Amino acid sequence: MESNIVQSRKERYLTFFLGEEQYGISIDRIKEIIAMMKVTQVPKTPHYMRGVINLRGSIIPVVDTRLRFGMEPQEETMHTAIIIVEVEKVNIGFIVDRVEEVASIDTARLSEPPKFGSHIDTDFICAMAQIEENVVMILDVLKLFEADELVSLEQIQQIQMREGE
Amino acid sequence: MTKQEQVKAIFIEEAGEIIEKLDVDILRFEENSADFDLLNEIFRGVHTLKGNANAFGFTRLGEFVHHFEDVLDHYRSTKEDVEEHHLELFVGSVDIIKEVMICELDALPDLPADYAGCLEKIKHLIASKKNKPVEPSIEVNSQVFNDLATEFAFCDFQLDDTAIERSIEIHQAMRTEGLNLYQIELTLDVDCYKRGFDHLLFLKLLAENATALESFFELDNVPSLDTFTSDENAITRVSAILLSAQTPNDVAENFEYLSEHEYSIVLIDPIVVAVEKVKAVVVEKSPDIEAIKTSTANAPKSTIRIDTFKLDELFDSVGELVIAQNFIAQNEKIRAIEDESISRAIETLSKITKRIQDRVMSLRMVAIRDTFDKMKRVVRDTSKKTGKELHLNVQGEETEIDKTMIDSLSDPLIHIIRNAIDHGLEADAAERLSVGKKVEGMITLRAYHKSGSIVISVSDDGRGINKEKVLKKAIERGIIAGDEHLTDSQIFALIMQPGFSTADAISDLSGRGVGLDVVKTSIEKLRGKIEIESKEGVGTTFSMVLPLTLAIIDGMLVQAAGEIYIIPTLSVVESFRPEREIVHALKEKGEFVSLRGQHIPVIRLSDIFELPTKRIEPWEGILVCVETEAGRIAIMVDELVGRQQVVIKPLGKALAKLKEITGGAILGSGDIALILNVDELRPLIEAPHGGN
Repeated sequence: MESNIVQSRKERYLTFFLGEEQYGISIDRIKEIIAMMKVTQVPKTPHYMRGVINLRGSIIPVVDTRLRFGMEPQEETMHTAIIIVEVEKVNIGFIVDRVEEVASIDTARLSEPPKFGSHIDTDFICAMAQIEENVVMILDVLKLFEADELVSLEQIQQIQMREGE
Repeated sequence: MTKQEQVKAIFIEEAGEIIEKLDVDILRFEENSADFDLLNEIFRGVHTLKGNANAFGFTRLGEFVHHFEDVLDHYRSTKEDVEEHHLELFVGSVDIIKEVMICELDALPDLPADYAGCLEKIKHLIASKKNKPVEPSIEVNSQVFNDLATEFAFCDFQLDDTAIERSIEIHQAMRTEGLNLYQIELTLDVDCYKRGFDHLLFLKLLAENATALESFFELDNVPSLDTFTSDENAITRVSAILLSAQTPNDVAENFEYLSEHEYSIVLIDPIVVAVEKVKAVVVEKSPDIEAIKTSTANAPKSTIRIDTFKLDELFDSVGELVIAQNFIAQNEKIRAIEDESISRAIETLSKITKRIQDRVMSLRMVAIRDTFDKMKRVVRDTSKKTGKELHLNVQGEETEIDKTMIDSLSDPLIHIIRNAIDHGLEADAAERLSVGKKVEGMITLRAYHKSGSIVISVSDDGRGINKEKVLKKAIERGIIAGDEHLTDSQIFALIMQPGFSTADAISDLSGRGVGLDVVKTSIEKLRGKIEIESKEGVGTTFSMVLPLTLAIIDGMLVQAAGEIYIIPTLSVVESFRPEREIVHALKEKGEFVSLRGQHIPVIRLSDIFELPTKRIEPWEGILVCVETEAGRIAIMVDELVGRQQVVIKPLGKALAKLKEITGGAILGSGDIALILNVDELRPLIEAPHGGN
């Protein structure tokens, strides 16, 4: 009985689109969603680092998520949004094409991402889920942060240990 | 953390503070052993420490402090002069206290080596003092007051103002040279008995040193016997007229443990007091009466501790407030309204915002006194170690400086001071006498404001820097090639280069060649710089020029390739549009300008940052000449936008590795401008040895 309860636990994810694909991020880590705003370029940074924005007095770096995943750049539209994610007091903005909804997904219905071999990087995708006819790719924000060295490795390990408890 | 541990942590912090204060006070006392206020201060510190130490089972600390307290108490109560060699023992004792504290904290079994010896000396001192007959204190004329009940029998004791005035007149007439007349008002709280005070206690205390004392009780509120409660004070006011040789401070001391509102002391003209004893006592003047509210110096300061993290948050929020306010003030649409009441409201808002910003900023500022006090110790120790007699002159202790900066300032300061004493001053008295100087060397420690920066300088009146020797050494060590034409300040700056040391002998204190360059880097980390001035035979001055606060810099806003960048004004030398004739190119790549005999490399931000932009010639743009570690460079920008104070914000971890940029700042428009780190801007073709 008990194990059933654990298995049918529901988690909430914010879903968004990049092109035709739908992605999800656990809402625990999302601080807020803001409309696209002026981004100040910072020189000598990877091309997907779009620059920094002024979020009510704090300077926050923003990543162009399309470029981060190796997709073609796209013109901004009225739907373009910045999702502000917070890990260990470090805030990062992710520019996405369109924010969709907050979906409750049964953890039991999450499945392993498919393996594509080395030519397609699936590191940042920790699970797949089915919402109606759409497949949602759940992103592992910690891995994104880690890969870009946004927070230190020890901090990540601490978080994982805490969550593992 | 358990409750017990928390309490212990508080004790340890408190003890640390007390010891730090003792360390400073004992040196001040050593300088001026006649200052009994200071001795009292020290005694109180030691006393608190004793109580705390025993409460937490730090018995070894408690034991030592206990005996030290006895000694202090002896001098405190007898006002006997402290003999020179005993002063030395006091200073040594504070050292032991420091060390024992460390032993206790780390639960080390071994006590400091001098512990037993020092304790023995202290015990010996007490024993010798106790055997000596204590000098009788000043004869007091107290027999009149022995029986207060008799005095109560007077019909005149009820408080009424005419009676007091008459009493003042009578006592005025009694006054002779050296006596002061006081009017003292006691308004003790209802609960004073429970705290262990009553009016008579104070009258007795006053009477001890009084020539004459008359008191008046206000008994209007004393209830009748059937409703009387013996543990509550119903006497609302007692006025006392005191004729005494004591100074206002001495009189005030009797009331040390009362709240400020419970008493007032008024000194009635003409005042006759020993000059050196009066400190900040005269508060207000009326034609006949000099009112002395007890000196605020003695009253405990009302302060609260705030987590610096909270302060930083407050600081950030205020930063946002300023930006939001600027946004409103500069908003085109709002300005277009052209309504007087709106513009007035905006004006008021901006004034208030400015005021809040200033206040919040001042919260982070602390006087540099504590740091300077610590340096006194350094000077003393260094002087003893080197055997050089010297006098320390401290100026501008009041100067306030950012709290976060203070901690990083101690080490560089210690190093510079040691350096000044060890290398700056002449080797011995004979050498000083031979050039016509006093035997005693002079070290001046100074803090002052200079055009938006804070300068902390250490000067000595020693032999000065020998330029030839420095140059020779620098060439030997391969720091310079030897064919450069260096200005005096550039030559002096060489001594701060890594691996440079001119000390003939390596001493315990300095001269290991790892010193001044470390000092230089740590000051640069605080976004400051070091300037050296020296005249041979006259002396040397090291000046640390620091920004007022770490959070704000004065910046020059420039535009390049469509973005606005900020250059710290501290490093800007000049800016100009060059004449075509003075711009040259080396191998068609390394552009440089010839300015007053100097060849300064030109740096294009668009090249360094790989910005796509239309390439313009230097004479079409503006060159901002800046001083960097590697010499002067000229940063080429499209135009100058202005100069303003900006709040530095970190760009976040993701971008922290970017050496060329120290951070960002939010401009009034809400846009972000990046702050350049000029030291990391290097020309594409570097000149040999950074010479220019």
